[in-house]
Amino acid sequence: MNFARPDAFLVFIPLAAVIIALYLLRMRRREMQVPATFLWPTHTEEVRANTFFQKLKPSWLLFLQLLALAVIVGCIARPQLVQRGLTGEITVLVLDSSASMGATDVAPSRFEEAKRLARAAIESARPGDRIAMVEAGPVPRVVFSLSSDPVRQLADLQSLQVTDAETDVGEAMRLASAIVSGTEGARIVLLSDGVFERIDDFSQGKASVVFQSIGKSGENLAIEAFGASESQRGKLLFASVRNFGDKAVTTNLTVFADGKVIDSAQITVSPQKSQSRTINVPAGSTLFEAKIDAKDGLAADNYAALSADPAASLQVLKVGGEDPFLDRALALDPRVTLDRADSLPLDGGSSYDIVVFDGVPAEPTTSRGVLILGKAGTGSPVTASGTAKRPRFTGATTNPLMQGVDLDGVYIEEIEVVQPKGSAEVLARSAAGPLIVADKKPSQRSVYLAFSPLESDFPLQIGFPIFVSNMLDFLGGRAGEGPLVVPVGRPFSLPATTPTASLKVPDGDDVRLKSNGGAVTIREAKRVGTYSFRAGNAERKLIAVLQSPRESALAPEREIALAKKPVKSTDAPLRFADFWQPLVLLGLLVLSAEWWLYARRS
Amino acid sequence: MDLLLPPRTFRMLEGLRVSPRKSQPGRVRGERLTRRAGLSIEFADYRDYAEGDDLRHLDWNVLARLDSPVMRTYRDEEDLAVHVLIDDSPSMAFGEPTKLMVARNLAAALGYIALCSGDALLPVRLGRREAPLSALRGRSSFGRFAAWLGREVADDAPTSLSTSLRSFANSRNRAGVAIVLSDGLDPEAANAIRALVGRGHEVWLVQILSDLDLRPDLEGDLRLIDGEGGRPTDITANSIALRKYQENLRQHNESLADAAKRGGGRYAVYETSRPLEAFIRDTLKREGWIH
Repeated sequence: MNFARPDAFLVFIPLAAVIIALYLLRMRRREMQVPATFLWPTHTEEVRANTFFQKLKPSWLLFLQLLALAVIVGCIARPQLVQRGLTGEITVLVLDSSASMGATDVAPSRFEEAKRLARAAIESARPGDRIAMVEAGPVPRVVFSLSSDPVRQLADLQSLQVTDAETDVGEAMRLASAIVSGTEGARIVLLSDGVFERIDDFSQGKASVVFQSIGKSGENLAIEAFGASESQRGKLLFASVRNFGDKAVTTNLTVFADGKVIDSAQITVSPQKSQSRTINVPAGSTLFEAKIDAKDGLAADNYAALSADPAASLQVLKVGGEDPFLDRALALDPRVTLDRADSLPLDGGSSYDIVVFDGVPAEPTTSRGVLILGKAGTGSPVTASGTAKRPRFTGATTNPLMQGVDLDGVYIEEIEVVQPKGSAEVLARSAAGPLIVADKKPSQRSVYLAFSPLESDFPLQIGFPIFVSNMLDFLGGRAGEGPLVVPVGRPFSLPATTPTASLKVPDGDDVRLKSNGGAVTIREAKRVGTYSFRAGNAERKLIAVLQSPRESALAPEREIALAKKPVKSTDAPLRFADFWQPLVLLGLLVLSAEWWLYARRS
Repeated sequence: MDLLLPPRTFRMLEGLRVSPRKSQPGRVRGERLTRRAGLSIEFADYRDYAEGDDLRHLDWNVLARLDSPVMRTYRDEEDLAVHVLIDDSPSMAFGEPTKLMVARNLAAALGYIALCSGDALLPVRLGRREAPLSALRGRSSFGRFAAWLGREVADDAPTSLSTSLRSFANSRNRAGVAIVLSDGLDPEAANAIRALVGRGHEVWLVQILSDLDLRPDLEGDLRLIDGEGGRPTDITANSIALRKYQENLRQHNESLADAAKRGGGRYAVYETSRPLEAFIRDTLKREGWIH
């Protein structure tokens, strides 16, 4: 035991001296005449005093009062016990709910083990300890804020469920740090298997970080790739199965076309190796699925799906600077798989459906579509002749690309003054020149925006994501009404003509969704499986799949890096726990005893 | 001081007699039978005739039948010395009414009984230096006795109860019933009573105690001043001290009762709040002190 404020003991001596001085006073007794005194006991109790002075006599009252004073001073000195426990006085528990936490190498699962640890931490917290919880899910969120209400905390913890998605643990840690980084002695406890992207941007402030690694084994088999390609022999399916474990595993790989088995083969995959298979696809199929029947650590990555519609999946390459608004708007489209690069690849982007030049001059590409933002180049449908400051919007055409997009009133700092080339069509115009230009060549479609979105307040307008969606339809082609394959856990939006829509999730529950600006944002597709989206009379099948080598590599990490600073896994760190509550109880007992003795003697 | 008992009490006392446990030798002929042969009408026994016997007591019937002279003997009748010892020490001035006043009223009642039954009444005031009163006899002496009771005796140096009792025991008093009316609040009182018993007296101790003696209502830190002139005592009147006092009082009273009863005497506690008639009826008559 140690004391947080040992200097408090200095007040004991003067206070004890005052108490002893009171016992040096003696009693002036009231005189009373009685028939005889010999029957009265000669024993007296000095419990009161009203005059000076007498010799100090041993007294239980004096002893109890000094003891009570010692206990009170002891409380003020804040005695502390050193003990082990996940929680401190102020703790933020960060619970990883990513797909890898669904692994069953720890019974019943890593996530349930994390919940058990969190539950034990909450239940073992001392009265007055404040705990918050952040779920590191697809979208990090505060499950409960700093409080000392274990009943509500346990109820909120119980409601948490693991997802089959990739998660952003870094963002969750930054959220936790924002809650307690300014508090001395606070603690951020990460309950995770360590299977997440390296966290470079993180500052823990005054808080300490505790990482408890969960998981034992990395044995897992996953469908790491499932795609289609056109060949001279027709359409081919490509399926690749990877063994992330240390032992060779044999499994059956079965491929379905519209629910019918078109191929099934037993494959043996060596440790840390992949085994692939190519299959001819029957004509007219709309949906392909692949399954492996391995009894491995994670079931979510044993299934993959692929839509036959080329527009149902868009591979987008963004070249240039950072634009979170554009990234978010692109990510909202369920068809988009976004890659980023500083410059155009040597193959000219032929493996991508759409290339976006964000703030860099457009180069010629072989992709189906090109989006140029702010800087015309050789690959753009315009010719630049200068710049203009704060142009005034003058009007737009009724082209479907501009449906739902209103640039009137949008503030634009600067535009390129351009002239459309060839068949390019001006869709929106300002007083200084074209704002949006589109070109629809048979080999390639392109859209040019005369300004960078970050140099305007266009990304803050409701028309921006609609413009991006229209642009994707224009450049990539509008997807059919067939099943839509989406990455599990990633929020996306779907058009909805009715104010409300519903989503039937794999376990059968219906989730009601509200439409906003003609679209519904879906965040509920957190588990792998088939969903049914209904808006009015329109119904669409959604298939959420996990294809994440990062999540499939289940081997738990015993050390993680936070802003390049290593943090080792620890079972339960030491903490100083205040010990004043039992002392207060003892003080009350001593004072009660003192009062009882006083009342009995007086 | 109103010493006169109410007429109803006098009527109650009529015909009662002091009832000693043992016979005491008398000095003059009285109305109380003794073991000795005498001249009363109470038949005692037969004995052979001896020369010089009074022929009036010869049983002529026996002489006629048996031709043997046999004398009838009778029990003698003497008076009984009833010493009424009233404790007039300072401790008797406590209580409401005071213990002394209660003692005087009880003494008046007992004295009236003794005078009416032909006994010799010998009143003594304990704790005060006073010339003893000669023996009173007959109902007509009650007036003198009442006057003696009502007299206030000033004494600058009152003696303690035990000293007075020892002094009485050592004097050449005629043995008889010594009725001690006192609160007994003297640590040596029991020994003094034993001394009295040792002188042949049948001691009747009526311990007169007030509420202050039996249930003292004291509280706090006090310096007790002894009414008898003893040393002051500092006490803390808490529950412990009160319990201890009660225990001491019980033991002291038991020692007094033991001392009185050891010589065939009697002992009773008389609370000052109790009516005199009730004490005479329920204690003295019921327990056979008087009949």
